[in-house]
Amino acid sequence: MNNLDDKIKSALEDNINITESDKNQVWKKIETGLYSNKNSNFKRIHFKRRSFINLVATAAVIAILFVGSKTKVGHAIVTQIKDLFVPEKQITQEIEGEKEKTNMNLHQSLKSNYIIYVDEERYEFIDGEEVDKIIMKDKPDNIPEVSMDIQQLIDRSPEDVIKDLELQIQGKYEIVHGPETIREPINGFTIRALSGQKWDSLVIKIYVLSNEQQGSFIITQHYFLEAAEGHGVRFDEMVKEFKIVK
Amino acid sequence: MRGENPVDKDIIRNIKFGHKESFKELYDMHIDKALRTAIAITKNKEIAKDATQEAFIRVYLNISSYDIDQPFEPWLYRILINECMRILKKDSKLKLSYEPLSENQLVANEDQEDLTYIYEVLNSLGDIHRIPLILKYLQSFSEKEIAKALELNINTVKSRLFQGRQKLKNALETKQ
Repeated sequence: MNNLDDKIKSALEDNINITESDKNQVWKKIETGLYSNKNSNFKRIHFKRRSFINLVATAAVIAILFVGSKTKVGHAIVTQIKDLFVPEKQITQEIEGEKEKTNMNLHQSLKSNYIIYVDEERYEFIDGEEVDKIIMKDKPDNIPEVSMDIQQLIDRSPEDVIKDLELQIQGKYEIVHGPETIREPINGFTIRALSGQKWDSLVIKIYVLSNEQQGSFIITQHYFLEAAEGHGVRFDEMVKEFKIVK
Repeated sequence: MRGENPVDKDIIRNIKFGHKESFKELYDMHIDKALRTAIAITKNKEIAKDATQEAFIRVYLNISSYDIDQPFEPWLYRILINECMRILKKDSKLKLSYEPLSENQLVANEDQEDLTYIYEVLNSLGDIHRIPLILKYLQSFSEKEIAKALELNINTVKSRLFQGRQKLKNALETKQ
């Protein structure tokens, strides 16, 4: 055997021995992890749990709205948020090298206990059942999606969530940066990915932070490469204004 | 490219529909090389088994978000390498030297001596050279596939493979 490439290949193949028993042991552990009675048919349980979360979230919104309008305690929560956070504020941001003054309006999500200031001149806040969305107003048809989603997962830690998101993104996007730990604009993790290098290549930027209990908030921005200095900056300015309300 | 294998695509499509048997089929197709790769990376069979188990569980749990038009193997190996690194980092005290060779592998024969020596040198290389070499020679991955699995620029992969191979070559020449 003279060729170095053949030698390296054989060195690896000959020096690593695995048996049928090794392979069976690994499969048994996988089976136990995925299909044991406790977790039988993961997908079904996963969807069921989401439906349950939807139900709880919907019920919570109805309850808070009802309580909020009818009782002193509920009224106090709403008033407290109004007292703590001004309904409108002006910020200065740098868009494509130019300083710009932008008015931001307060939005509060009672079901998820957070507030955010939104640039309502350009975006619309949609309070969803499971995911809240901030979407671009009057978006032309010939450009990709421009939006920012905010979702709370009540039982998944930021560390677990970012790990799963990394895997999901790697299967879908050509270029992936991160995940990395960050302090700004939120204290948590971020991961960013691109579908290519063209002007309209899709960009996804995700922030994951603790909900200050056992869960996480996921903030997902969707825009396109050419909009990174525009919508990308505007979304990040809004993320800076994201606050958890207890 | 192996990731575009239509068999993989059909199987993954079935797994997305919840077919447990198809997941076992996918496992059977990939376990041999996946486990070998994990052993080569972790240099410890038990750690490698844990990492491989965890990687396949992650594949299953995240299969709904996997784009069937993207090559599968670089995705699988990215997950596997991450798991190997995570477990090694977590159990850094367990980062042992590679397992000793069995008696029948130590037969004194010139070729086998070379192979054993190459394996030892390979194991002594840093991860930046060792892991691309493992993927190239154990998996027969192309440079593009290695770049995708390790999230590296293709030129970086080329350079690391060249440097790693050169180190092995020099070591072998010095020995002789």
